[in-house]
Amino acid sequence: MIRIQHLTHIYPGSRKTTPRTAISDLTLSVAEGEFCILSGPNGSGKSTLFRILCGMTLPSAGKIQVAGHDLLKEPARARTQMAVVFQSPAVDKHLTVAENLRLHADLYGLKGRDLAQRLDEALAWTDLKDRLPDKVDTLSGGLARQVELAKCLLTRPKILLLDEPTTGLDPSSRRNFVTALHNLQRGRKMTVLMTSHIFSEADDADRVAIMKGGRLLALDSPQMLKAGLGREMVVVQSRNPESLEARIRADLQLRTRRHGDEIRLEETDNGTSLPVLEDLLTRYRAEIDSIAIKQPALEDVFIHLTGKSAQEVESEQLETAAS
Amino acid sequence: MIRVVFALAKREFVRFIRQPQRVVGTVAQPILFWLFLGSGFNSSFRAPGMESVSYLEYFYPGVMLMMMLFASIFSSITIIEDRDAGFLQSVLVAPVSRMAIVLGKVLGGTAIAMVQTLIFTLAAPFLGMHLGLGSLGLLIAAYVLTSAGFAAMGFFFAWPMRSSAGFHAIMMVFLMPLWMLSGALFPIERAPGWLHVLMTINPVAHALILMRKPFYETPDALFADQRYLIALAVTVAWAAFCLFGSMARVERREKGLAAQP
Repeated sequence: MIRIQHLTHIYPGSRKTTPRTAISDLTLSVAEGEFCILSGPNGSGKSTLFRILCGMTLPSAGKIQVAGHDLLKEPARARTQMAVVFQSPAVDKHLTVAENLRLHADLYGLKGRDLAQRLDEALAWTDLKDRLPDKVDTLSGGLARQVELAKCLLTRPKILLLDEPTTGLDPSSRRNFVTALHNLQRGRKMTVLMTSHIFSEADDADRVAIMKGGRLLALDSPQMLKAGLGREMVVVQSRNPESLEARIRADLQLRTRRHGDEIRLEETDNGTSLPVLEDLLTRYRAEIDSIAIKQPALEDVFIHLTGKSAQEVESEQLETAAS
Repeated sequence: MIRVVFALAKREFVRFIRQPQRVVGTVAQPILFWLFLGSGFNSSFRAPGMESVSYLEYFYPGVMLMMMLFASIFSSITIIEDRDAGFLQSVLVAPVSRMAIVLGKVLGGTAIAMVQTLIFTLAAPFLGMHLGLGSLGLLIAAYVLTSAGFAAMGFFFAWPMRSSAGFHAIMMVFLMPLWMLSGALFPIERAPGWLHVLMTINPVAHALILMRKPFYETPDALFADQRYLIALAVTVAWAAFCLFGSMARVERREKGLAAQP
């Protein structure tokens, strides 16, 4: 559905800055009906890729096909097939929910009975039914995002692009939004490409692409990505982690790593974790607050591949947002 | 395309009416200017060739021009706001012609300016100026043309701007002087040489002729008046230039540097 081939983008420098390569030789396809998440630290080229996919920026080199149309040569054709949810809200706050939807319909030439039906359809999953005459200004962040998504659904897009759509939402609105998005994607067989840093969002995706420095580092299903890391770990929490860690090292000759009050035994081969856990429990029962076998999460994959934790990424983001 | 233009223009208008401060500000400010400056200069002002005209009356079309200028400035600032808030992105990715984006904004700005100027035109009879139907028609045509020209000019400058602070600079050093040197405040004839030149090449000065003359001459006389016809041609050219310039700006997409082979 989306085919990106050998895409390169170099930002032209100005008098004071040198040209900067944002994307280099990126090849990536998203199949029809696939839910793909694009992740990566800041400056990885995600946003640039997103701008190019929206047709707002022309790349230096490469080809992009969207729903069979050449995005770079026939942007207008490709645009009719896709809808975009931007990171910054693209609704007019001074207009009501209904006015925003109608304006969007006008932009896409929808009217009459067809529009009425599409409106019902686009609003069916939302909590907006009683809020149509209210200005978007008065809605909560979560509801405002629903307006945005409903607006996009009006045009019955085959492809939905979302740029960090849950930024600024509280965890429960965030979860609701992503759940609704998944349901809609399945129900309407849409192809979804979404950028995100939130790994809990990525777990349900069909595939996750991780970018860094303008290159694609990994592209696979979350399960395969995690399996690629191939490690299971035993995580022990204790009130006296230091002494316990020392004793585990001395008694069992196992390598450990400590994060706060957590002791992680990361290099246990798959399948051997359970005996280790039992052994630890029998030996140090009194000192252990909790003990668990943990599968590597997507965040661990991300840290492994990019060398940055999601928290670091997020705080970087806050800094750029503040500046 | 026409629907898109109207939908975008309607949005501008609705937003304008929903902000009562903006309505009051844009209508009241020129009227205050008119009353204060007009009354203040009234006794000391005599325009060459218009000796019987009071300053209140002389300044009257100038105030209309000012209304159009302000309407255009406000609507241009909304371009920067739209970009900032994110609304503009959704319009840009929609499969609409780039021309519709410009025309929507310009039409919205023009409609807002028209409402103000038409209300202000009601003051004409009280100044002792009586308009025939033909002159009124020409006057309204001049309003539309000039408002559209101003709105398009504002669009042209505001489009590449990333902050409204930068636009304020353009407004003060370029847009306001255009108005000051249009003959709105003082007549062109007695200005010193260099100023005279500036005022002659100022397209807005020509727009002002279109808005002043219909008050004093019949349509037949106007179409025989060479100065009026030149003014008409210049104003049309100016508005068209700004409109097409704006479209060219919207059309331009950010491009990546060609990759080194």
